[in-house]
Amino acid sequence: MASVELRGLTKRFGTHAVVDDVSLVIDHGKLVCLLGPSGCGKTTTLRLIAGFLEPSSGEIRVGPRVVSSSARTLPPEQRKMSMIFQSYALWPHMTVSDNITYGLRLRKLPRETIAKKLGAILSTTKLEPLALRYPGELSGGQQQRVALARALIVEPETLLLDEPLSNLDANLREEMRFEIRRLHDQYRYTTVYVTHDQSEAMTTADLIAVMNGGRIDQLGSPEDIYDRPQSEFVARFIGASNVIKGTARDANHIAFANTTLQVVGAPLSAGQSAAVAIRQHDIALATQTPQNTGNMLPARVLRQVFLGATRDYLVEIADGTSLRIVTSPANVVAEGSEVWLTLPPARCRALAR
Amino acid sequence: MKRTMKKPSRRDVLKGAGAVALGAVFAEPARAAAPPPEAITPELIAAAQKEGKVVLYSSMDLPVGEKLGKAFEAAYPGVAIQIERSGSERLFQRIAQEFESSIHACDVINSSDASHFIPWKKNGWLMPFVPDEVARFFPEAYRDGDGMSATSRLYLSSIAYNTNLVKAEDAPKSYADLLDPKWAGKMVKGHPAYSGTIMTATFQLVREFGWEYFEKLAKQRVMQVQSSTDPPKKLALGERAVMADGNEYGVVLLKEAGQPVEPIYPAEGTPTISGPTGIFASAPHPNAAKLFQAWLHTRETQQFFVDFTAQYSVHAQVTSKAGRRKISDIKLMKEDPAGVEAMSEEIKTRYAKLFRV
Amino acid sequence: MTAIATDTAHAKARFDWTAPVLWLFAIVLVALIVLPLSWLAVYSFTDKTRHVTLQNFVTLFSDPDFLDPLLTTAIIATTSAALCCILAAPISWLVSRTDMPGRQTIRALVTASFVTPPFLGAVAWELLAAPNSGLLNQLYRFVTRADSDAVLFNIYSLPGLIFVISCYTFPFVFVLVANALDTMPGELEDASAILGGRAWTTARRVTIPLALPALVAGALIAFLQAMTLFGSPAILALPAGFHTMTTKIWSLFQYPPKLELAAAAAVPLLLLTILLLQAQKFILGRRGYSVVGGKYGAPRRVEMKGWRWAALIFCLIVLLNPVFLPYFALLNAAFSPNATTLATPSTLTFHNIVFVFTELSSTALVLKNTVILGTATATIGTMLALVIAYVTTRHAIAGSRVLGFLATAPVAVPGIVLGVGLFLSYTRPPFVLYGTLWILLIAFLTINLPAAYQQLQAAFATIHPELEDASRILGASRLQSLIRITAPLLRTGVIATWCFIFIGVMRELSAAIVLFTSQTKVLSVLIYDLNESGDLAAIAVLGIAMLVITFAVVLAVNRIPTFGGSAGARLRNS
Repeated sequence: MASVELRGLTKRFGTHAVVDDVSLVIDHGKLVCLLGPSGCGKTTTLRLIAGFLEPSSGEIRVGPRVVSSSARTLPPEQRKMSMIFQSYALWPHMTVSDNITYGLRLRKLPRETIAKKLGAILSTTKLEPLALRYPGELSGGQQQRVALARALIVEPETLLLDEPLSNLDANLREEMRFEIRRLHDQYRYTTVYVTHDQSEAMTTADLIAVMNGGRIDQLGSPEDIYDRPQSEFVARFIGASNVIKGTARDANHIAFANTTLQVVGAPLSAGQSAAVAIRQHDIALATQTPQNTGNMLPARVLRQVFLGATRDYLVEIADGTSLRIVTSPANVVAEGSEVWLTLPPARCRALAR
Repeated sequence: MKRTMKKPSRRDVLKGAGAVALGAVFAEPARAAAPPPEAITPELIAAAQKEGKVVLYSSMDLPVGEKLGKAFEAAYPGVAIQIERSGSERLFQRIAQEFESSIHACDVINSSDASHFIPWKKNGWLMPFVPDEVARFFPEAYRDGDGMSATSRLYLSSIAYNTNLVKAEDAPKSYADLLDPKWAGKMVKGHPAYSGTIMTATFQLVREFGWEYFEKLAKQRVMQVQSSTDPPKKLALGERAVMADGNEYGVVLLKEAGQPVEPIYPAEGTPTISGPTGIFASAPHPNAAKLFQAWLHTRETQQFFVDFTAQYSVHAQVTSKAGRRKISDIKLMKEDPAGVEAMSEEIKTRYAKLFRV
Repeated sequence: MTAIATDTAHAKARFDWTAPVLWLFAIVLVALIVLPLSWLAVYSFTDKTRHVTLQNFVTLFSDPDFLDPLLTTAIIATTSAALCCILAAPISWLVSRTDMPGRQTIRALVTASFVTPPFLGAVAWELLAAPNSGLLNQLYRFVTRADSDAVLFNIYSLPGLIFVISCYTFPFVFVLVANALDTMPGELEDASAILGGRAWTTARRVTIPLALPALVAGALIAFLQAMTLFGSPAILALPAGFHTMTTKIWSLFQYPPKLELAAAAAVPLLLLTILLLQAQKFILGRRGYSVVGGKYGAPRRVEMKGWRWAALIFCLIVLLNPVFLPYFALLNAAFSPNATTLATPSTLTFHNIVFVFTELSSTALVLKNTVILGTATATIGTMLALVIAYVTTRHAIAGSRVLGFLATAPVAVPGIVLGVGLFLSYTRPPFVLYGTLWILLIAFLTINLPAAYQQLQAAFATIHPELEDASRILGASRLQSLIRITAPLLRTGVIATWCFIFIGVMRELSAAIVLFTSQTKVLSVLIYDLNESGDLAAIAVLGIAMLVITFAVVLAVNRIPTFGGSAGARLRNS
């Protein structure tokens, strides 16, 4: 049982650093999510951990052992890891059972043991009726479960998942999110999960590493990331945020659109240009002037859309900034109307970067 | 090859010519160098059968050669023969190439360019072996004084025409006739760089008429083929009307088989080709080689040559076939192997320049 | 957890064979290609005493006997390539993108053209179009009652040679263009149609530009093939009275051999080939092969309507020349007492067949050599190409790009040039392979490797690399993954490559003519020798035997000979 540690991991293709000085400790038995938009380096990081790529500099350790460094890299077959690929990579010329038992047959386990383990995993993943089918005959969800079974049956120390749910429809995706977490809790291996979908990350991860441009922008629990984003990128990427740019007056006030906003979060110094994030659903929208005078802004409604559970507004502030606001559907204001926005100070987070 | 096959000096040529001349006059000293004649003994046959195979490189017309081979196999079951047929000049080049790399695949060589035996003998590549019948029935001029080879067959390179395309009275009667413009584009001939027959014939014609003759012939848009066995066949197909050179026995055989061809023996004389056969000292199957060489020169085989292949034999006991021209009735041009050897490079080069291939 | 842990501890002790095996293949490649080319360089730039000199080149380039063949070869190659493109392009379009009937048959006939060796085609065309005795000329005279001097076709001429070469080079262009058209996504043409483009407009503005790179590639291949052929020129050019570069190089081997000049004469051919290949890369850019994308729709077929049968007749007329007429001429010659006389039921004879199979003493040996070499080369070549394609596609070892370059480099070496290089390399100690089948094996391997490698490389591109990654992460080494996962998935590609190499060996003459000895003769050389002596009937019988063997092997291994197609192509044509 060991943790996985990345120290200063860097991977360059030519002069471009796809993974740039990434450091991360994944404690044994934890599920860490690498979250970010496409091109942020998360899949490359995962492939470095798996051993398909060699680092340009930095190292990867499993427990005390260095498995990857710029000098020497242990090949994937010797890492005792398991991986689920985005394309599932099921071998089309083998049956479901043969696919699943491949790893055990490589380890030359006795036939009865293999049969027993196969039976157990088939029932866990509910694949019993499909045991002798070929991957070409299965639906997307079934294929995904086969990939899962194949990866889990070898009881790895570390499980790597590369956007395993992106090929499934919305309902199945939800169901499988929970399934993956449940299996992780049951078997307690160290899991690294790569995705661009924040709801997946929020549902399954113990720890989220938000990646951007090859670096980890912020590392923290789902609540940390959501409630206390430290950068504009994280604020925009997670949850639906507006980002307001202004100049700081003091440690927790900024000047913006002829008013002063009280903010929380990163301490500011006067005169510094600052960015403040506020969730779209945290802004209150009213046609009458609110009682409380703190953090109030006049605005004009540009656009309004009814989305069933919510109503989506696009409003414009006096200085031209537009903000998006999500309110209850009962709150109806016509386009072109003048409104008052209230931005609760506790929900206005000043961003460190 | 460059080290061992220097172009012979004039002295060597003279020496060679002198030896031939002397050999004709003073038979005894020349013959003293040859080993004693050997008959075909049961021991030789048994040894040959143990070896099981003999490889013959020959330029004889293919079906003719294969027929010969089948006759040998019938006479001595247990000894298979593999015949490697190619133009003699090409065979000479192949043998040189193979020997250069110490590859000895050939047992017996029959070449239609007698001059080849001069360098082979000088290099010590040939095995001295005198079959009994050669010693008894072959004239001096047609066997090597040191027992390295014997003339197995004698034939001619003649002119011929296709009787469907040319009337007998219009047919050319001499080499001079071939230069007539009416035969432009209508002739076929072989090439001295590939064929020993054509090399020998060309030498004799150059000796008689000089290179001017060939300069004029080259302007006749002659269809150029490689082997001397090809022109008779092209003639029979009707591809060309007249054959300027090629083996006469091919024409005779085709005529006897009912093909519309007729040989002509030019007024100036017909080039003579002798086809000597020798055994290589490095033969992989030496006993089978000796057996074949001996068999080749027996009266039966030589008679076979005459009867079935329309060639001529120098064996004293062989009779000519009825219905064919006797060689003594034909005006012949004389052979000169030493002369050919001295001139072969020049012939190939000048011919290639004249005929552009 | 513990049970698995101890088992994987075993796995670590296992020696990973991958790296040594890959390096071994790299060394083999270097030996195959670098060695003969080095000797070629040595001989062309030195004189007989091995002092460096440019005299060989001076001698050659100041001699009109050498410059004329160079010009002739250029003319032949250019005209041939143009002719091939003009014919192959419309036929591939008809077969691939329209609903012309008989598409499957046409593809099979093109395969037959490819399987037929060009030198055999040349002999067959001698039978058909020799000015006086050719069957077609006889027919012409019979029909028009012209006198015996009238000639319609003279195969013994430069146009005749160009014609025969084009007949057997056009399959190369066809395959490249047809493949490009087969794999073109249907949506591209649909987009044009939706925007109002009619069939011809779509063809003109969408299909043709997309297929143009394949056509250019095909034209260059055809040019190279035509430039480096030996058999057809050797058979037709001598009677016509001219030399090409390949026959000239061969003539330099005549006694006494001028090896330095032969090597020097090979250099222009080599340089020209390299130049053209670079030009091809430049024109095509970085695009190599279109990946077979499974998600695209099948191409929409253009409806020919009233033109369907005319189109089919056009294709059949074109294919008359490489296939129908020559095969007929060969069959006729095999059973006729006189090769260019039509065999009638009364004159039909089996004498030629009897002669070839019972009297001709080289037949059995030659057939044995040829089949052994064909099978051995195909098997070794496929394995070699598989491993090298894997290494270069997956970048498995450092310097894999160099390996890929070496695997395609032999394309730049004309067959006869390679023959000369191998002759110079292996007729000297320490490796005297001349006189054995090994030297022929090396020659055939080297000649066929590039195409085999490119075919398998394209096949590899259709296999998602994650399939191997999945195997490796579960504990299999690269080599194990190659054997258990990749190779089975490549089965059709591997089989197609095997057949391709086998056919290539059957067809090969230019290197074999330099390297053979009497015990290591192959069928192509025997046929050439028989042409030298004028035994056309024997050639016909042997040629038919060769075709029967090749077709039988290919059919047995493949069941349906759709060259350049796969099961997918078959589906597309149905």
